[in-house]
Amino acid sequence: MTKTSWMPPVVTRRAFLSTATGGSVLLANRLFGAPDASAAKPNPALEKLAEVALAEARKQGATYCDIRIARYRQQFSGYRLSPERDGKKTDEVPFVTDQQNFGFGVRVIANGQWGFAASPLVTAAEIARIAREAVVVAKANSVLQASPVQLAPTKAYTDRWTSSFEKDPFAVAVDEKLELMHNATSIIKKDPKVFAAFGFLALRAEDKYFASSEGSSIQQYVVQVWPALQATAVDTQKNISRTRSYQTPPVTAGWEAVAKANVGENAPRIREEVLEHLAAPPVTPGKKDLVLLPSHLYLTIHESIGHSTELDRALGYEANFAGTSFLTPDKMGKFQVGSELIDIFGDRTNEGGLATVKYDDDGVLTTKFPIIEKGIFKHYQTIRDQAHLVGETESRGCCYADSWSSVPFQRMPNVWLAPGPRDVTPNDLIAGVDDGILIEGEGSYSIDQQRYNFQFGGDAFWEIKGGKKRGMLSRVAYQSKTADFWRACDGIAGASYWQQFGSFFDGKGEPEQINAISHGCSPSRFRQVNVLLTD
Amino acid sequence: MFSQQEAKNLIDKAIGYAKLPGCQIDLNSSEDVFIRFANNGITTSGYRVTQSLSISSVTDDKRHGNAVVNELTDESLKRGVEQAETLARISKTDPEDMPALGPQKYPVLSNFDSFTGSARGDAMIPHVKAVLDSARQSQLTAAGFIQRSATAVAVGNKAGLFGYHTYTDSSLTNTMRTPGGASSGWASQTSVSLKDVNGEAAGRISAEKCLRGAGARKKLDPGKYTVILEPAAVSDLVGYLGGSFGARDAEQGQSFLSKQGGGTHLGEKMFPEYITLRSDPFNTTLAATPWGPSLLPNERMAWIDKGVVKNFDYDRYWASKAGKDPTPGTDNLVLDGQDYTLDDLIKSTDKGLLITRFWYIRVLQPQTLQVTGLTRDGVFLIEKGKVTDPVTNYRWNESPVRVLQNTKKLTRPVRSQGAEAGSSIVPAIVATEFNLASVSDAV
Repeated sequence: MTKTSWMPPVVTRRAFLSTATGGSVLLANRLFGAPDASAAKPNPALEKLAEVALAEARKQGATYCDIRIARYRQQFSGYRLSPERDGKKTDEVPFVTDQQNFGFGVRVIANGQWGFAASPLVTAAEIARIAREAVVVAKANSVLQASPVQLAPTKAYTDRWTSSFEKDPFAVAVDEKLELMHNATSIIKKDPKVFAAFGFLALRAEDKYFASSEGSSIQQYVVQVWPALQATAVDTQKNISRTRSYQTPPVTAGWEAVAKANVGENAPRIREEVLEHLAAPPVTPGKKDLVLLPSHLYLTIHESIGHSTELDRALGYEANFAGTSFLTPDKMGKFQVGSELIDIFGDRTNEGGLATVKYDDDGVLTTKFPIIEKGIFKHYQTIRDQAHLVGETESRGCCYADSWSSVPFQRMPNVWLAPGPRDVTPNDLIAGVDDGILIEGEGSYSIDQQRYNFQFGGDAFWEIKGGKKRGMLSRVAYQSKTADFWRACDGIAGASYWQQFGSFFDGKGEPEQINAISHGCSPSRFRQVNVLLTD
Repeated sequence: MFSQQEAKNLIDKAIGYAKLPGCQIDLNSSEDVFIRFANNGITTSGYRVTQSLSISSVTDDKRHGNAVVNELTDESLKRGVEQAETLARISKTDPEDMPALGPQKYPVLSNFDSFTGSARGDAMIPHVKAVLDSARQSQLTAAGFIQRSATAVAVGNKAGLFGYHTYTDSSLTNTMRTPGGASSGWASQTSVSLKDVNGEAAGRISAEKCLRGAGARKKLDPGKYTVILEPAAVSDLVGYLGGSFGARDAEQGQSFLSKQGGGTHLGEKMFPEYITLRSDPFNTTLAATPWGPSLLPNERMAWIDKGVVKNFDYDRYWASKAGKDPTPGTDNLVLDGQDYTLDDLIKSTDKGLLITRFWYIRVLQPQTLQVTGLTRDGVFLIEKGKVTDPVTNYRWNESPVRVLQNTKKLTRPVRSQGAEAGSSIVPAIVATEFNLASVSDAV
């Protein structure tokens, strides 16, 4: 980790920290305070506010009510280095923003129908008003309900939970963050043949309090970090450009994960590889074997398995937007999605996962569960109001919203592919390929609304010939169908190569919600996939 | 939603806390109401109020810091300004900083409808009921979404600039599927006014599409086809195209407007003479703000005029370097049309495909603007001027640039919205040589 020696002349780091986290009369700060892993119970002030909603909803005739009071903090900082108009001088443009969003949402069931209302004014009077609004919404909509809402049972919990981290990333001085990104982008831009360098550091923290009319009172705190680097190279003679990224996984962790990412140490490699990518010959299209690294395969897992095993999609709840699923309920327990090597889990408990929490937004204790076992589709991701629709008696804890102002609904847990036998290495996978491509990182990605047909690019491609990794290729994309692709998997590297990657930007629902999600896997091999030459 | 005076008071108060020479405040407050339905019944719905205030501070040596808060008490504003100023002092000089603009004379735009601004669920439920009735009458399953929003935006800075605007927006989309999921139809309505939403019409269109697609689907070989793209499909392509007019990218070899060997295509006739693409913030059917991203007054701007690449999008910094006037941005896109009807386009097509809309579009190559995506919710074969059989969905790899270059006829433009790129005002078009890459089994 690069340490800064630069100190701004006007503001000391101590002064900055007092502004960022010091004692404040702001309501959000008073309710949620600084991260406190030792606290065992929710803040009584939050419980008191929640009781206003629960009592008002009950008074208005609701049979169920929950309230989420939440504060989201985000910080983005970084640098863009790109040429000025004359093409000679480089503009080094820093950016830094701190964002806070605080409010509450009330969800009720009245006349058997959901209602929801939300407001940023966290006062007892506004909470009572919004609880009444939610009941009005539910009752008005009940005239057009298909069937009354049924909730799978859950225990009532009183708990306080904090995601594991060693060092609060918001407490690290911004000058240190800017210097880290300035150093890394400067290393990339050192070679004048590199057109531009971009580096950013995204931090995210979520303070959430949940209380329900069934007796739960749960306060949770999650903190996440994500550093990333990208280099761009341009050849104006050929009128092409290529990028190369240092794709570090966004992770539920503290500043220690930024240190482990070794951003500066990886910058020289990115600088060299973007130029190699720019000069790389185009791929010869056709059927080829693919060896996919975790930084790439995570997104294929997400799109083809993660989304197709969402129960709300399979039942038609997303038919107007994200779509439905080829994995219809009649396929549960019998459909062969992949080869016998494929074991995939849904998991909101695994260390570092972006979807990892202790309780979901239904107040359900989160779990790990099999989605695919030996290639067979076993279970959907479920929530309380849909579990019974596939004959299950409890939720698998997959309910959450992206904001206090959004309706909680079925979202993806971390979905990960189990590693292969311990002695299988990535080199073993490559050695078994006569004509293929090794792909790292994410490029373009697109999949249909039932999750059959997908096309993925990547960030970097290397030719595999005669069992050996050769030079880089360009203009690669592969097209396949979900079940064909996973059935063509004949090799997965062992657990020591297993890595978790993820995205802060998974969209679903109307109004659209953007959530964070992780997918782990080891490098894996897929036989005879259709490779395309793009423009 | 804040009134103009309330917004002015908040902005003045925040600026009053500023100690650094530069301070810009962007205030946004909105209220929205929505109903979501699926499987022929309402699923989730809500009413919500949101607000945010963004503070951008600048030191005298051009260092920037930004903070966004949504608690708007005096204490929160004060702390927010302190936070933005602290970040600015910690940051480094921004070589692309432009001096703050003084007071501006902003145009008056008219895209607020008071009925829409105050409508609640009771104004939407009849439309949902009409869609569900339509589905049940045809033994179909409906899913959809109806919403309305009212938004107030305001901007002010320490140099005396102030602007305030309100706008409303509404939409109804619905998808109908056959019980076994063998066919799907879709319809969309978007408007500044909820009064323009018509659930009966939206339900009828998607039911007709779904029923028409319910027969045995032809699976044509992938390849290049003449296509008639309905406005929702055109809207997504135009959205991707409009976002690619940045002067900096064009001049630095990073867009379809960059020329091989250097230079740009500015002033060149790249498209047929009947292709005109422009931004029109004064069109009352689209929500717009009186100022663009640079805070200069919004104005009409042609990007492609009668087939000629007419303008690039210059931000204030790049414009100052290029000796050009800055432009207001590429929002509120309008693709001009012709007087043909959709029936005219169908009748004039000997063999082709009628495509309802697209899905999951992503860029493959910026220099050609090749993108990949899929068709969705209705693809039909056209033979000898008539719509005949339903056809499977396809993945396609194609460039909006080539599509407009290969466009032969256009209908009159209407406000439309597809899956990816927001609303624009576009016609249906007939275009040749559209590259369908592979069959998608999805319905």
